[in-house]
Amino acid sequence: MASHSVLNVSNLTKYYGKFKALDSVSFKVDEGCMYGYLGPNGAGKTTTIRTMLGLLKPNQGEVQIAGANPSKDPVRALQLVGYASELPTLQTFFTAEQLLDFMGKMFGLPMQTRKEKTKHLLDLVGLKEWGKKKIGNYSKGMVQRLSVALALINDPMVLIMDEPTIGMDPEATAHFRNLFTNLSKDGKTIFISSHLLDEVQRICTHVGMINKGKIVFTGPIEQMLEAFTQQWVVEAEVEKVTENILLSLKALEFVNDVKVDGNKLSIELKEKKDVRGEISSEIFKQKGVLLSLNLRQVTLEDAYLQALKGGQ
Amino acid sequence: MDALGRVAVIAGYEWKRALAKKKVLALIILAIAFQTLIMVGLRQLFVGGFLTNEASSLIWISGVLEGGLFVQLIAIIVGGGSMSEEYEHGTADILLSKPIKRVEYMSGKFLGGFSLLAMVEGLTTFVGVILSLWFFGAQTGLQFAPLMFLAIVYSSLIFFCLSFMFSELFRGSTIAMLFALGILFASSILSTILGLLYGNLSRGFPTWAAISFPPLLMSELITAPSTVLPAADTGALYEAALIIAVYAIVFILIAAFRLLKSDVTKKTG
Repeated sequence: MASHSVLNVSNLTKYYGKFKALDSVSFKVDEGCMYGYLGPNGAGKTTTIRTMLGLLKPNQGEVQIAGANPSKDPVRALQLVGYASELPTLQTFFTAEQLLDFMGKMFGLPMQTRKEKTKHLLDLVGLKEWGKKKIGNYSKGMVQRLSVALALINDPMVLIMDEPTIGMDPEATAHFRNLFTNLSKDGKTIFISSHLLDEVQRICTHVGMINKGKIVFTGPIEQMLEAFTQQWVVEAEVEKVTENILLSLKALEFVNDVKVDGNKLSIELKEKKDVRGEISSEIFKQKGVLLSLNLRQVTLEDAYLQALKGGQ
Repeated sequence: MDALGRVAVIAGYEWKRALAKKKVLALIILAIAFQTLIMVGLRQLFVGGFLTNEASSLIWISGVLEGGLFVQLIAIIVGGGSMSEEYEHGTADILLSKPIKRVEYMSGKFLGGFSLLAMVEGLTTFVGVILSLWFFGAQTGLQFAPLMFLAIVYSSLIFFCLSFMFSELFRGSTIAMLFALGILFASSILSTILGLLYGNLSRGFPTWAAISFPPLLMSELITAPSTVLPAADTGALYEAALIIAVYAIVFILIAAFRLLKSDVTKKTG
């Protein structure tokens, strides 16, 4: 992956009246990176995106997209950007074909290219049969799909999407997840704001997290999992939990605590280290019959919730 | 694509958007129906002997000018929705997140809306002339019809710009149109009253210039009875032209300042 950043947000501060919506927000997104932007409702995700696009004027700080500031030079900065907004409201008097053609015009694409792209993109987002119908007749999910198609009309270098799969059915969500992964493989830089942590964990390489207008974390996803996970847990299922097994496990130097739930043991570790070998040996030593043993996978959701609590 | 190209793209979009709104088409039909009614009324006056032959041969001027109030109303409706409806529908975000400067976007919106208005005025001028020929036979001075059309277009700048300014200031189409309509009627009433009481004092009001400019220009070109045109007054003509320009420029500068200096608001409708 190339190392230079195409999206550079530095020290962004934005007030709505007296309310500080963004508080010195800074992060960088490298070229070709798939960046997930996380945060609870009202944390400042959409405000960050709208400021990045020059729609909002920051009170302080600036944004650079491929070296250009969208507030000062939108023509240069936004030429390379595709944007799909959260729950978009599109021009209902257009058909999808007309709207894609119009957006193509805004990027200065020649007629033939616009025609080809329109056909290709409608096919890509599963709206081939709907191209000639007025957008006013579309469902929310279809509008969302079209919004992604619109964001791709200029073959953007940077794709910025605010909750792009909201309102889509599971099949469409899976389709778009694959689409975003393929676009990333093609070298596009993708910035996705989402509440779907599972989706973000599956497709993103990097994450940024914002809470109450402040960046809590920015960096590779593994780093976030590492940084916001307090402890690792090994889950063991044995035929029968005996006093000996319990005591011996608790006596292990790397074990913090052991919780029992029927024949299941939840072994909390002091360190973030895979010690399943040592635990299984100890259970065998105490004549226990081990049915299963898992190191509980730390999810982005775990880390996210931990980060929200403010712990690190 | 250069700046002019981007302005032209937005202007084309504005046409499509305005025509998609049925109310503009309804107003065009209403304006033509109103013109027809006026012509029928004038025809009755002519038959009843209340109009001279000289006046009837210049009746096309009245036919075109009588649509003046409707032209101002259409100007208010087209201008009032131009910027605000994009905020109301949430489409301003989509347009302004594209590679276009705000000033280009506003210029495109303005030119698109104003050219649409000019097209409507061209249509009403044409219909006015046709109706006069139909109801009153041969007309004189028709070579000045294109100039009359341009004068009407120019005079409609005031209320178009006023409504356009409110459209950006309030970012709500209904309130923008209501304010502009309020000023149209208040200015009309006040300038009439002040005109009767103090003469030229009424000229500071926007309706005086908007309504007076076309007939003042025509009276410089055509000698007509006072029932058709006012007496020629070159000073008043220049004054009206200047007032229109000053109002239009001030309104547009206020709208531009608001757009350039503030956030693009999310869906307000």
